[in-house]
Amino acid sequence: MPSSISNLRALCAAIALLFVFANPAVAQLSFKPTAEAVQEDKLLNALKEGDKITGRITIPDAMASSLIQPAGRDWRDFHRSKLPIIGGVAIIGMLALLAIFLLVRGRIRIDHGFSGAKLLRFASFERFTHWLTASCFIVLALSGLNISFGRILILPLFGANAFATMSAYGKYAHDYLAFPFMLGLIIMFLIWIKDNIPGKLDLDWIKQGGGLLSKGQHPPAHRFNAGQKGIFWIVIIGGALMSVSGWFMLFPYIPANVTELQFWTVIHAVIAMLFIAAMLAHIYIGSVGMEGAFDAMGTGEVDLNWAKEHHSLWVEEEQAKGRAPSGSAARPVAAE
Amino acid sequence: MKSFLAALAFAAIAAFCVSSVLDTIQQTSSVAYTTSGARVGDPGNNLIGPN
Amino acid sequence: MARVKFLCDADRCIECNACVTACKNEHEVPWGINRRRVVTINDGKPGERSVSMACMHCTDAPCAAVCPVSCFYTTADGVVLHSKDLCIGCGYCFYACPFGAPQYPKVGNFGSRGKMDKCTYCAGGPEADSTRAEYAKYGANRLAEGKLPICAEMCSTKSLLAGDGAIIAEIYKERVMKRGYGSGMWGWKTAYSDSPTG
Repeated sequence: MPSSISNLRALCAAIALLFVFANPAVAQLSFKPTAEAVQEDKLLNALKEGDKITGRITIPDAMASSLIQPAGRDWRDFHRSKLPIIGGVAIIGMLALLAIFLLVRGRIRIDHGFSGAKLLRFASFERFTHWLTASCFIVLALSGLNISFGRILILPLFGANAFATMSAYGKYAHDYLAFPFMLGLIIMFLIWIKDNIPGKLDLDWIKQGGGLLSKGQHPPAHRFNAGQKGIFWIVIIGGALMSVSGWFMLFPYIPANVTELQFWTVIHAVIAMLFIAAMLAHIYIGSVGMEGAFDAMGTGEVDLNWAKEHHSLWVEEEQAKGRAPSGSAARPVAAE
Repeated sequence: MKSFLAALAFAAIAAFCVSSVLDTIQQTSSVAYTTSGARVGDPGNNLIGPN
Repeated sequence: MARVKFLCDADRCIECNACVTACKNEHEVPWGINRRRVVTINDGKPGERSVSMACMHCTDAPCAAVCPVSCFYTTADGVVLHSKDLCIGCGYCFYACPFGAPQYPKVGNFGSRGKMDKCTYCAGGPEADSTRAEYAKYGANRLAEGKLPICAEMCSTKSLLAGDGAIIAEIYKERVMKRGYGSGMWGWKTAYSDSPTG
């Protein structure tokens, strides 16, 4: 039985061969290697933005199945031309604004001078949370800026080897400090959300420019004024975006593919630039920009006159609760 | 000042703990890119350096 | 000096993976690191094509442009190489690479994936040519011995071509003229379109 089948096959092949020799034109028509062949040009033209040409591979590395992803070049162009502009405008622009503000407005003084009386503004756990987030943020910002712009700004100064070593440590710091930073964000959100719900008072505060622009003007405010609420929400929303994009980047290719990672790195970089610019303003007003402001996070206790000028309603609330000295009498406050 | 120093210390300790947790998640490529059908011995150090 | 390139004539590639095997053997590439791979498009369908792909040694290489520590350099032959002493293993080159060339010793978290490895066009690295140290970090340096990359040298169907870009492009065009078809110079538009001379 098997032998008769093979005989039949041989016969068929012979007939086919005869047919081919007898009619070469038909033979050529029956074999068209390119009729349905894939063409690189067609595949490239059919690609949507961020798409890639993929195929089947024989190695268990799923990423290797991507043959060509032209989006990599767009990502390169973002890093080479767009990011320096975004970062430069945001950060240098903010520094310039702050310098102009300092020159024009000067340091915002306490109009009535220090009273000597103090009241507790931030408890030690609040200060701990602030400094936890702040110290992590500073390292994250510097190491992140180093990844983005260190090659242009620092590499020529340090030399290739020293810069690479520094960047490697920066990368580890960035990775590992991201976690205490995220913890700080969560605690901050929980302990300060109740004082940061936007209200009608904030509108008035904004209308008066927060009293920042003219001397002696102090719109009333509760524990946090509209500007501080703004900073709170910038930190929470910006921090959340940084964290989400950061999680994707921390575990590359585990949930995300290369196209998604390109997207998240762009989000991470752009939000970072805006975030850093906003924090520069925060650092300025909390230190050089305003007399008496640093005490709130430094010792936790602010001067009564400072509090009355900037957070009049909060002082009244604290006084009602008996947690603040009444009046502006220059007498030492009992420790809580 | 105390809160500040405590925050710095906490950040450093947390970062250290995270680093050791993250290290346990790391797989070598020779393990990650192996199916059950392959028996891969020690891939050696060439090109990838020690460990 | 010549500007060297790779060209895979997909109409000749039979997906034998000998280029991959030869590469693995020549440089003692460990398991899991894939400097070269063969990707089959429309697998199992009429008109499927296989393309052998590795680092294309791009003009204005995206990897080199985005590297935060600037560890890449281009040789006089147009080969894109990198220094593993400088590499911090951040993975940016993989995001930027249109061809998925960069490989990392470890998979998992971003932090410690090790130094990137990729096709060197059999041209070693920044270490002195053909030394033990160069081999341990970058593999064999065939170019220094006057030889072309092993993958192209031993391709049984002469599908994978390596050498002076102008010459291999001419060979490919002649083939297309003679046989009347060609699925394209895979990757060339993406890798070399930034240079006016191609």
